[in-house]
Amino acid sequence: MIRQARHNGDVIRRASKTTVVLQVFSVALLLGLAYMAVDIVKRYSTLQDGIRENALWSVYQFDREARRLHELVHLYLAQGPQSGIAVKTLTTRYDILYSRMNILEQANFERQFVLNPEIGQRIAAIQDTVYGIVAPFDALAAGKDVAKEQLLEVDGKLETLLGATEDLVIFTNNWVSTNRAEKRSGLMTLQVQTVVLVGLLVACVFFLIFNLRRQLRSVRRAGLDLEAMATELNESYLAAEAGNRAKSQFMATMGHEVRTPLNAILGTAELLELQTLPQGMLAGVQTIRRSGNALLELINEILDYAKIEHGNVDVEMRPVGVRALAESTIEMVRDRASENGNLLELALPDNFTMPVILSDPTRLRQITLNLLSNAIKFTRDGVVTLRIAELATSGPGCLRVEVSDTGIGIDNASIDKLFQPFSQVDSSISRKYGGTGLGLTICKQIVEAMGGRIGVESARGKGSTFWFEIPVKAARIEESEDHGMNDAQAAVALKTLHILLVEDNAVNQQVAAGFLRHLGQNVKIANDGFEAISAFEKDKFDLILMDMQMPNLDGIEATRRIRALPDGQAVSIIAMTANASEDDRRLCHEAGMTGFETKPVTMPKLRDIIARTEQIVDPGQMASVKAAPPERDSEFDTLYEQRRAELIEALGEEGFHELLDSFFDDAREIILKLRSTASPKDQRTIDHLLHAMKGAAASVGLGEIAVTAQAFRSGDFSPGRLEELEHLLDAQKHRLAA
Amino acid sequence: MNALSKLTATILAVASVTIASPARALDKPTGDVILTVRGPDLKNANAGDTAQFDRDTLQALEKRTGTMETPWTSGKVEFSGPLLRAVLSAAGAHGQKLKIIALNDYSAEIPYEDATKLDTMLALTMNGKDMSVREKGPLFLVSPSDRDPGLSNEKYFARSVWQIKEIEVWE
Repeated sequence: MIRQARHNGDVIRRASKTTVVLQVFSVALLLGLAYMAVDIVKRYSTLQDGIRENALWSVYQFDREARRLHELVHLYLAQGPQSGIAVKTLTTRYDILYSRMNILEQANFERQFVLNPEIGQRIAAIQDTVYGIVAPFDALAAGKDVAKEQLLEVDGKLETLLGATEDLVIFTNNWVSTNRAEKRSGLMTLQVQTVVLVGLLVACVFFLIFNLRRQLRSVRRAGLDLEAMATELNESYLAAEAGNRAKSQFMATMGHEVRTPLNAILGTAELLELQTLPQGMLAGVQTIRRSGNALLELINEILDYAKIEHGNVDVEMRPVGVRALAESTIEMVRDRASENGNLLELALPDNFTMPVILSDPTRLRQITLNLLSNAIKFTRDGVVTLRIAELATSGPGCLRVEVSDTGIGIDNASIDKLFQPFSQVDSSISRKYGGTGLGLTICKQIVEAMGGRIGVESARGKGSTFWFEIPVKAARIEESEDHGMNDAQAAVALKTLHILLVEDNAVNQQVAAGFLRHLGQNVKIANDGFEAISAFEKDKFDLILMDMQMPNLDGIEATRRIRALPDGQAVSIIAMTANASEDDRRLCHEAGMTGFETKPVTMPKLRDIIARTEQIVDPGQMASVKAAPPERDSEFDTLYEQRRAELIEALGEEGFHELLDSFFDDAREIILKLRSTASPKDQRTIDHLLHAMKGAAASVGLGEIAVTAQAFRSGDFSPGRLEELEHLLDAQKHRLAA
Repeated sequence: MNALSKLTATILAVASVTIASPARALDKPTGDVILTVRGPDLKNANAGDTAQFDRDTLQALEKRTGTMETPWTSGKVEFSGPLLRAVLSAAGAHGQKLKIIALNDYSAEIPYEDATKLDTMLALTMNGKDMSVREKGPLFLVSPSDRDPGLSNEKYFARSVWQIKEIEVWE
């Protein structure tokens, strides 16, 4: 396609070059023609100059008159007065000859005739004779007698004159013929030249037309090709865009899927560390936890970058206490700093003019943490300083955050590469220190999304100072909240809230209700959106936990209707969903939900939600809750076993078995339904049933079943494989019953 | 011829020309005849069935003067003489064409309209002087090419007869 377009371009270019050459050639030919036309006009104007006397005619007339006079004189001499020739006739004849002589001398003949030297000589000779015999004729005219001898002399002179005039006639005739032939041949040459020029011009014009046609054809073809190319490009773009979207979706899903087991590993490792372990094992467990943390960080970075690359950096403005944020952030890296033998310093002004600012605390902490982590990573036995200052500006406030280290530093050439994705200063660095090379890119994107700028000052071996500046506004102190770091406190004491749990799946209901009761909460259950609304109308709730996908009336619509009720504004509504996509988040937000949590529901998540909500609700009855996590056996192999343990802890052994019973009942029912609708036509129903199965299995900690159901959903399902699932259910049931 | 009779003749001639009208008979020329007009039915024939003119008679007719170029003279020349149509009307002629005959028997046929529609003259003088035979005299037919340059071509030059002695009028 592109080659075709280039070829068309070449053809057009070549054709236009030819056109230019042809045009130049045509102009030259036209100039030649114009010159010739001028020449022809000049020649014709000589021809058309009418005031010219015919030389041959004049010479002939002269010859004739000379002959007549000679005859008369001859006769007169021979016969005398008897001849009957009057003297008057004689003199008149001479007068006529005389006038003819005048004509030869004066008339406007052609220039060449006048200028011809031989003609001039001949005429001069004739002139001498004619004027030489004027005396006797004058005498005759005056009536005097003229001697016969005189007349005889005249006769003799006329005799010689006749020879001269005859010669002149012949000479003139020849001259005129030659002259005419020469003129004609000159005109012929001119004509031939003109014809040749005109022929060339016609050829030129013909080529021009031909060339223009070719050019036009190429232009049209090029236009069509371009159009086709544009369409193709557009299609490719759409395909690429769709691919990119799919990739982002996949990344989000995978991130979720990867983080869940990783969290389990980390939690378990942490729990193990609390046990009394043999010395060698403790170090091993610590390694597991540290590596897991590093892995989690990496994954978070990649996911963040994927999200940012897709164009959405969400910045959520909330009041933030600058000092608290700085202190908590530096606490988070203190351990790592001391591992590298680094001294951590925090340099804050004594007083902030804006102690509480309106900004995104999560993002601020993310950037600061990233810069601190880098500083610590590249510094050994040095000092890392976090310095925060307010910049004096005339307009809105500006906050400058600086992280300085005494580490390896960066040379000038490499600084440019720093903020570009996937680039590290050099490959040896990545081998030695690891990392994705995405951290600073993400920081840059976030800072720019917040309207600020980021930069670095460094020299190799002299340490680096990374800084960023963001515009900030002051916020009221009362609004300040920071709940990222208060899990521990929340775990100690939770107020008792009145909570409405909206969930259609019986197993999920039991799980969530069990957790909530375990946390000392007051729970009411609604099976779908309609029940939720009527329950809300009857009773007053502090918090609603809303499932998104429900029969009859889904979570989004139910939320909308509750918000539309007179008392519906104040209550916190948290969405619970298995799909954590951006679109879902947006939908929830638009429907008026307060927050968003992903499924499966865990005890820490619920605890966090309650802690957050109770800050809004008036302080009520205090419920004492045991600090989590409790002591546990050391045989947690999988996330799902941890989950089961959590359930047992919340519901008690008996409650857990009841829960399992109802799960297996449900599962049997689902299997029956699947069998009866097991035709590929009803794909949506099948998907819905499998989704319910997966959700319930995950809730009760039956990982294998959840995974299988999910696998069936993603296209592996066939009626024949239903038995596989059934066997799996039976096997699990027997194992748990044992 | 005594002086008195000469004077009388002149007076008579002048009187006759002054009062001349086409209908009026043409007097017999008293001087040398320089032009003879022949025609089938001349109203004012004065010599047999021809009309003869001497220099004075011609001088007395309606005339014009024009300065122009001809192939036979060098530079611009002033011609003066009676209009051809005045001569013809004095002769009481009418017809379709004219044959102008020169002393050497050269002749040219011209349409009658050349006399009626153009101010063609029979020049008697060139540059204010009478023309002798040696100077293409006594009469020279001149087309008014000073008024109409379109007449400066071979067609009209061929009609420009000089040394005229006779005009024949044809039906």
